[in-house]
Amino acid sequence: MASISLLNPRAEIARAAHALAINISAAKGLQDVMRTNLGPKGTVKMLVSGAGDIKITKDGNVLLHEMQIQHPTASMIARASTAQDDSTGDGTTTTVMLIGELLKQADIYLSEGLHPRIMADGFGKARDKALEVLEKCKVPVEINKKNLMEVANTSLKTKVHPVLADLLTEVCVDAILTIANGTDKPIDLHMVELMEMQHKTATDTQLVRGLVLDHGGRHPEMPKRLENVYILTANVSLEYEKAEVNSGFFYKTAEEREAFVLAEREFIDQRVKKVIDLKRSLCDGTDKSFVLINQKGIDPLSLDALAKEGILALRRAKRRNMERLALACGGTALNTFEDLQEEHLGYAGVVYEHVLGENKYTLVEDCKHPLSVTILIKGPNKHTILQIKDAIRDGLRSINNTIDDKALIPGAGAFEVRAYNELLVYKDTIKGKGRLAVQAFADALLVIPKSLAINSGYDAQDTMLKLVTEDRLTTDLVGLDLATGEPMKPVDMGIYDNYIVKKQILNSCSIIASNLLLVDEVMRAGLTSLKG
Amino acid sequence: MALSVPKAPGVSQMLKDGARMYSGLEEAVYRNISACKEFAQTMRSAYGPNGMNKMIINHIEKQFVTSDAGTIMRELDVEHPAAKLIVMASQMQDAEVGDGTNFVVVLAGALLESAEELLRLGITTAEIADGYEKALEKALEILPKLVCHKIEDYRDVNKVKDVLRTTIMSKQYGQEDFLNDLVSKACVSILPDEGTFNVDNIRICKILGSGLPKSEVVRGMVFKRFVEGDVTFAEKAKIAIFSCPVDIIQTETKGTVLIKSADELMKFSSGEESLLENQIKAIADAGVKVVVAGGKVGDMALHFLNKYGLMAVRLNSKFDLRRLSRSVNATVLPRITTPSQEELGYCDKVCIEELGDTTIVAFRNEGKDSRIATVVIRGATDNFMDDIERGLDDAVNSFKCLTRDGRYLPGAGATEIELATQLSAYADTLPGLEQYSVRKFANALEVFPKALAENSGFNGTEAVNLLYLAHNSESGKNIGFDIEAETASTIDAAKAKLFDLYQGKFWGLKYAVGAATTILKVDQIIMAKRAGGPKPRQAAGSDDES
Repeated sequence: MASISLLNPRAEIARAAHALAINISAAKGLQDVMRTNLGPKGTVKMLVSGAGDIKITKDGNVLLHEMQIQHPTASMIARASTAQDDSTGDGTTTTVMLIGELLKQADIYLSEGLHPRIMADGFGKARDKALEVLEKCKVPVEINKKNLMEVANTSLKTKVHPVLADLLTEVCVDAILTIANGTDKPIDLHMVELMEMQHKTATDTQLVRGLVLDHGGRHPEMPKRLENVYILTANVSLEYEKAEVNSGFFYKTAEEREAFVLAEREFIDQRVKKVIDLKRSLCDGTDKSFVLINQKGIDPLSLDALAKEGILALRRAKRRNMERLALACGGTALNTFEDLQEEHLGYAGVVYEHVLGENKYTLVEDCKHPLSVTILIKGPNKHTILQIKDAIRDGLRSINNTIDDKALIPGAGAFEVRAYNELLVYKDTIKGKGRLAVQAFADALLVIPKSLAINSGYDAQDTMLKLVTEDRLTTDLVGLDLATGEPMKPVDMGIYDNYIVKKQILNSCSIIASNLLLVDEVMRAGLTSLKG
Repeated sequence: MALSVPKAPGVSQMLKDGARMYSGLEEAVYRNISACKEFAQTMRSAYGPNGMNKMIINHIEKQFVTSDAGTIMRELDVEHPAAKLIVMASQMQDAEVGDGTNFVVVLAGALLESAEELLRLGITTAEIADGYEKALEKALEILPKLVCHKIEDYRDVNKVKDVLRTTIMSKQYGQEDFLNDLVSKACVSILPDEGTFNVDNIRICKILGSGLPKSEVVRGMVFKRFVEGDVTFAEKAKIAIFSCPVDIIQTETKGTVLIKSADELMKFSSGEESLLENQIKAIADAGVKVVVAGGKVGDMALHFLNKYGLMAVRLNSKFDLRRLSRSVNATVLPRITTPSQEELGYCDKVCIEELGDTTIVAFRNEGKDSRIATVVIRGATDNFMDDIERGLDDAVNSFKCLTRDGRYLPGAGATEIELATQLSAYADTLPGLEQYSVRKFANALEVFPKALAENSGFNGTEAVNLLYLAHNSESGKNIGFDIEAETASTIDAAKAKLFDLYQGKFWGLKYAVGAATTILKVDQIIMAKRAGGPKPRQAAGSDDES
C-alpha cells in the first residue's frame, strides 16, 4: 500500500487476478445453481419469498429474479439473462450456463498466462463462425399447426410436466392461430389474456375463444347464463357523481326535496333507459339477450332497473379488457350513449357466470371471429398456477418467434455438437494464440448437451463422445435422446428450438463473457460519511 | 442495491443478507420429507371417529378444541415451505369437496415417508415421482370399480341419512345420529326442484345455553337480533325488504332548507312528517306486515311503523338481506317505494323468541317453498358449538357432493386396503424401477386403517393384517376395520353403512399425490429473509361491493 491512500478508506477494491477470480467464481456459481434446471428432465427449485409465499419453478429467468442476487458479477449475468428473456422469451438458463462455461474454459488458459484480450478477440472470431454454422443449420418451416406444435412442445416440456406440456402446447398454438386469423400482421401477444382460476387441477387449463372477466353481475336477480348475446361495451358512468363545483339544494318543503331526489338521478336514469330501449327493440320477442359491460360504475338503482329487464350488467371492467372485448366480440366501446346503434354492439354465443367461493368469473364465449382469446389457467394452488403462467408465456413467445423467423433450429443439443465440430475445423485455419480461444469456445458449447445428459442420469463424457463421433459421420444434425441416452435425429422426433433464441444466446454470451474477462479491477466507492 | 466486493466464492455469498439456500438430497429433500412427516404425524392422531382433539391457540390468542383437520391447519399457521404445500393441497380439497382434508395430509405424509426409504435405497426422486403418478393413475382407474353404494334419489331423507352419518361420525363421534337427523332434514327440505344445492342456504346459528339435544332446524332464517319497533309477532305476513335506511330520503348533494319565517318552519316539519306517514301508510296498505331494512330505521319512521302495526327488523349485513330475500322470495328494493305485489315476500311466521338470554328473530316458513334452512345449535360453551358447527359444515358439503355424484365407497379403511391390494398386484406386473414406488404407494395407503385402529387403542399392524386377510378373498372387498368392537376385528363396511364419498377419495388422492410429487421434485430451496413488520393483510375479495 502506498503511504497516501488514493481512495476513501471505506472503499473496497479487488485487483487483477483477484478480480478475475471473483468474476469467474461467480459465473461458475450461478451455473451450478442453474445446471440442474436445464432440459425436460431438469429438477425444480422452490423459492420462498420474504412474505412466506412459495414459488416453484424451473424457468431460469424466474429463478434469477427471485433469488435476490447481490453479487455484482452475478447480477450482470442475471441481467444478460433477463435481456434474453425480454427479446426472445426463452433460453435464459442456457445463457447463464454458457457464460459460466465460457469463463471456466477461459480460466484454464488464463491461468497459464494467456492475456485476456487475446481470449476475448478469439471469442469474437469463434462467435462469428458459430453464427455462420447456425445459418447453415437453419431449417426453414412452413407456418402450420404441426410445426408450431413441435416447437411449442419443445419449449414447454422444459418448463412443466410432460402431460401438462402436451395440453398447453395445443392451447397455446390454438390461441395464436385464432388471433392471427390467417393474416400476416405481427401478432400482439397481449391479445391472449391469461386468466387464473384456483380450481380443480392443472390439466383442466383450457382455451376460451372469447373473454373471461374476473367479476360477475352485481345484482342477485341478474341472469347467470345467457345465450345469443348482444354485448354492449361502454365507458359511461351509470352512477351519481357529484358536480365538481360546490353545489347545494335549497328547498322549502319535503315535497320539494323529494322532487330534488328524483331530479338528481334523472340524467343517470336517462342513460339507463337508453340501454333498456335498445335492448327492448333488439331482443324482445326474439331469443336474443343483452349484456352490458361497463368500465365505469353502475349504482344499485341502475343495476336494479337493468336486472328487471333481464340484462346482465358488469361494472368496473378493466381498461385492457375493453379493448379485448371489442376485438373478441366485435362492436365498439362507447364513451357516450348518445346515438346507440345496433352496429356498436358485439356478439357472443354464450355468456355465463362461474362462481368459485367468493370469486365470480364471467365467461364470454363462442364469439364469431375472436381476435382476442383467453387462456383460462386452472390449478389447485397458487404456485401451480404461477408455474403454468410462466410456461404459457414462454410457449406463446416461442410460437411467435417461429412465425417471425419462419425457420427453426433442431434441438436436443444438435446445434451445439455441430458447432463444436465445425469450430474444431475452423481452429486450424487460425494462426497464433487465438486458436486457443476458439478451442475454449468450442468446448464451452458442449456444456448444453452435457447438462442434458447429466440431468437425465447419463454419463456426460460417454454421451458426448458418442454424439461428437456420430455428428462427424453424417451431414444430418444429431441430438441427444433423453429417453435412451443415445444419439438421434431431432428433426425426426420433432424437437426444435427457435432460431432467434440461439442467435441471441451466441451473441450475448460471448459479449458478456469477454466483458467479464477484461475486468481487472472491481471497486466499490466508500460511503461518504456525513453522519460520522 | 448496494454492491460490495465479495470475498469467498460460492453461491450463498451472491444472495442478499439473510437469504438461505438448501440444495441436494441431504439438505433439501430429506429436510422437506421429515418436516412433512412430522406434520402428518400430528394430524394422523386426529383421523377418524376416535381421533383425538387438538387444542390450538392461534395468533390472536383464540382457542380452538377440534379434530377437524381444516381448522387445525388454518389456525396453525404453518411456516415450513414443504409442509405448506401439503396444507395448500388440503385446502384445495376443502374447497373442492369440503370433506376429507385430513385424508390428504395423512396420505401425502405417508407417501413422503415411503419415498424416503426408497431414496435411501438409491432410487432418484424423478423415478419415485413417476412411479407415484403411475400408481395414482391406476388407483383412479380402480376406484370406480369399488363403488358399493349409490344414491340416485337424494330427496329421500332416510337414504341421505345413511351416507351422511359417516362424515359426521368422523367429527362428532357419539352425537352422530342426532346431528345427522338435523342436517339431513335441513338439506333435503330446502332442495330446489331444479338447479343445484347451495351450501350457503344452510345457515347455522349458535346460541349459548341448554344442551345439544335442544338444537333444532328452522325452515327459514334466524337472526340474533331484536326488532326495532313494538310489534314482535306477525303471522302469514307479507314482507317488504329495503336495502336502504327506512327514513326520510336525503339527496346526494348537500341540501339546505331555506326558511324565512316560523310559519314555514312549522310547515316544513309537518310536511316532512306527513310525507313519511304517507309512504309508510302506502306500504301498510299494500298488505305488508313486516319491514326489513338494510340500514337505520329513523325515529320518526319507527313511530309511523308502530302506528300502522308494522314489524320492523334491521339487518346490518347485505348478505343476510339477500339471503332473507331468497328465503321469503322477495325483491330487495333499493329505495323507499311502495312495493308491488310481486316484490313482496311471504313468511308464515315472523316472531321473537327467547332462547337462554339471547333474543332471536325467526322467520319461519312451514310451507315447502322455503329455500333456506337454519340449524340452531345449542350448547354449553362456544368451543363446543364451534366444533359442532364444523362437523355440520362438513356434512352439508358432503351433501352437496352427493347431489352432484351419488357414488359411495366403503369406509372404515376398506377402500384403502382394497386399493393397496390391487396396486401391489399391479406393481408385480411392472418391469421398471417404478414398481418399487408403486408398491410403496400401496403400503402408504395402509396408514388409514392403521390410524383408525391406533386411534381406537388397537394394534395398527394387527388391524392391517386382518384386513389384508379379508381382502385376499373374493367377497372381502368391503371389509373394513371395526372400531367399536372389544378386540381388533373386521366389519363389512357396506352392511354397517359406513360410506365414504367417491368424490372425496378421488380428489383426495389426486391432491395428495400432487403435493407429494411436487415436494419430491424440489431439489433446491432458496428462502429470502423473512420480511419484518406485521403480516401482509389477506387479500380481500372484490373491493367492488354493493
